[in-house]
Amino acid sequence: MQTFHIRYRNTQGTLMRILNAASRRALDLPLVQAEPAEYDHQVTLALEVNQKQVGQLYREWYAIADVIKVSSGTGHATAWTAPHPPAGVAMEESRTAARA
Amino acid sequence: MHKGADIVLQCLRAEGVELVFGYPGGAIMPLYDALEGSGIRHILTRHEQGAVFAAEGYARVTGEVGVAMATSGPGATNLVTGIADAKMDSVPLVCITGQVRSALIGSDAFQETDVFGVTLSLTKWSRLVRTIDEIPEAIAEGFYWARSGRPGPVVIDIPTDMLKAKKEFSGPVKFTPHARPADAKADGGFTDTIVALLQQAAKPVALVGAGAKLSGAIPELRRLLDHLNVPTFATVHGLGAVPPQAPYYLGMVGMHGTRAANMALHETDLLMVFGARLDDRVTGDPTRFAPHAKIVHFEIDPAQLDRVRPCDLPVIGNLADTVPAFQAELRRHSVPDFSAWRAVACGAERAELDPRGLAQPTIRFLDELFSRLPQDSVVLADVGQHQMWAAQRYRSSSPRGFITSGGLGAMGFALPAAVGVQLAKPDKCVLCVSGDGGFQMNIQELATVRRLGLPVKMVIIDNKYLGMVRQWQQLFYQRNYAETDLSDNPDFVEIAKAYKIHSFRLNEDAMREFPVAKETGDEIDRFLRSPEPELLVFDCAPEANVFPMVPAGAALSEMLLEEEPTQ
Repeated sequence: MQTFHIRYRNTQGTLMRILNAASRRALDLPLVQAEPAEYDHQVTLALEVNQKQVGQLYREWYAIADVIKVSSGTGHATAWTAPHPPAGVAMEESRTAARA
Repeated sequence: MHKGADIVLQCLRAEGVELVFGYPGGAIMPLYDALEGSGIRHILTRHEQGAVFAAEGYARVTGEVGVAMATSGPGATNLVTGIADAKMDSVPLVCITGQVRSALIGSDAFQETDVFGVTLSLTKWSRLVRTIDEIPEAIAEGFYWARSGRPGPVVIDIPTDMLKAKKEFSGPVKFTPHARPADAKADGGFTDTIVALLQQAAKPVALVGAGAKLSGAIPELRRLLDHLNVPTFATVHGLGAVPPQAPYYLGMVGMHGTRAANMALHETDLLMVFGARLDDRVTGDPTRFAPHAKIVHFEIDPAQLDRVRPCDLPVIGNLADTVPAFQAELRRHSVPDFSAWRAVACGAERAELDPRGLAQPTIRFLDELFSRLPQDSVVLADVGQHQMWAAQRYRSSSPRGFITSGGLGAMGFALPAAVGVQLAKPDKCVLCVSGDGGFQMNIQELATVRRLGLPVKMVIIDNKYLGMVRQWQQLFYQRNYAETDLSDNPDFVEIAKAYKIHSFRLNEDAMREFPVAKETGDEIDRFLRSPEPELLVFDCAPEANVFPMVPAGAALSEMLLEEEPTQ
């Protein structure tokens, strides 16, 4: 189970789009907690996901118009093995992996 | 004071909209009432699905945003297939729907549907307008998202009382997106990595998708491909991006791609993807897709990366930026000599379809048709066997010269889309190729063609089956032709006549002699050059099949080149 935190502007449909990215992959949503966070909103999701789905979800969430930031909870930093996460990891790591 | 409906139309004009496609109804009546004198031309289709496909056709051929309008409830839900189609194929589309009046929302009022909810997963962005004050901002933001990045569909749902309400209006607004930490953008540093990968590679290839035409970077991409001079192929939406006469070009790749393209893709050790999603129709079995290759994926939408198969180097950004950067780096290095690989991949022994396939009268007919088309024509294909035959046989150098519903595969797309294309390009020959199944799905748009006097050239490849499904039934379901027999089709020639559209029939026997008889050729020429709409019904053998074919779940290297015994 992995925890994701998605910061978003609370515009119409944004939360639903965030949840839909998970539900369209037939992922259960055992924990959903949405709340105001400073000037924005944040939703926390707990999802049972594999590595490929993590990458897809990150990218799909970032493609939503009013999503500001995506991060994940414990274990994410070590769990991430793909050479090109969508944000937060230097492109240089991606290049090094590609040349390997 | 301005009514909400007037504000909508003024904002549309400010976005450059001249044409909208739609169908009126109760909740959207105020908008229709305001159309006259607005400077916006409304095209009445005979079904909302026709309107949204026509708007898509307009958008696909121009690159501009297509606009469709419909009323609440069934009007709005009839747009849904077109919205899904625009999402899959990256078509900039804005749909404006009327909604029941604000006080009734949520009460299951007459013709109330939660179109915002229904389309949430199909749109890039959507808005249910709550006050008249929101209208200018909603339209500006909607158009921004429809156009930006990877283009796509937007829905703006406006309650009828908002369209009737009045307010002071100082003019349309501009939308400025909020700054946010974006995905890692290509910073130019990727170029030396690709060059290094090229220098390590022995069998590099290039795959071109829809992103090439959407980016507007066709000249830059063609220069790069000429420089690379490696075997190159295209997805169905990438057709036209590469001149078909280029010596390194192998045609379409994927489920019904050419043998040469699929073999090269299977053998490559470096796959450079330019603006393609790599969907399952291109990859076949993803675990055996380009099994020896490192993949460099040029893509504007990070959400498209790694969907089917992880790539080794993403190059995120608009091809208009990343392709010139790549080529600039390439100029500083010598490109390795790939001529031996090119000779194999592009060699005669891998060329084209089997002779039996070439001898098919339907393919011969399409060849005759396409060879007689005026330059810069636009060909639309519906969905099914004829679509794949057309994609295989139409060799256009025009990036927006071949239009089809590729991702969603929506039957009934081509005829209404041709309406939008012809309106956008009144001086071009617009040829709409359909099957007998798909043509009937939006046959009512013959009335739109006739009403507008559009010189659309319509062809039905009539095999009296749902041909592609039947082909699968033949090959994979022991010829159990369950519910695909359309032998009780109506007489399309007579139907067209009822719409006052000239129509005639051509039997496939006319294609059995080569070259075709002069009278047949003359008739095709006359058809293509007629200033009026015309329908040509081509009677095709019921069991003609499309080859090559990669069975679902098979690797590209396992393509069938001809019929094999059923399993």
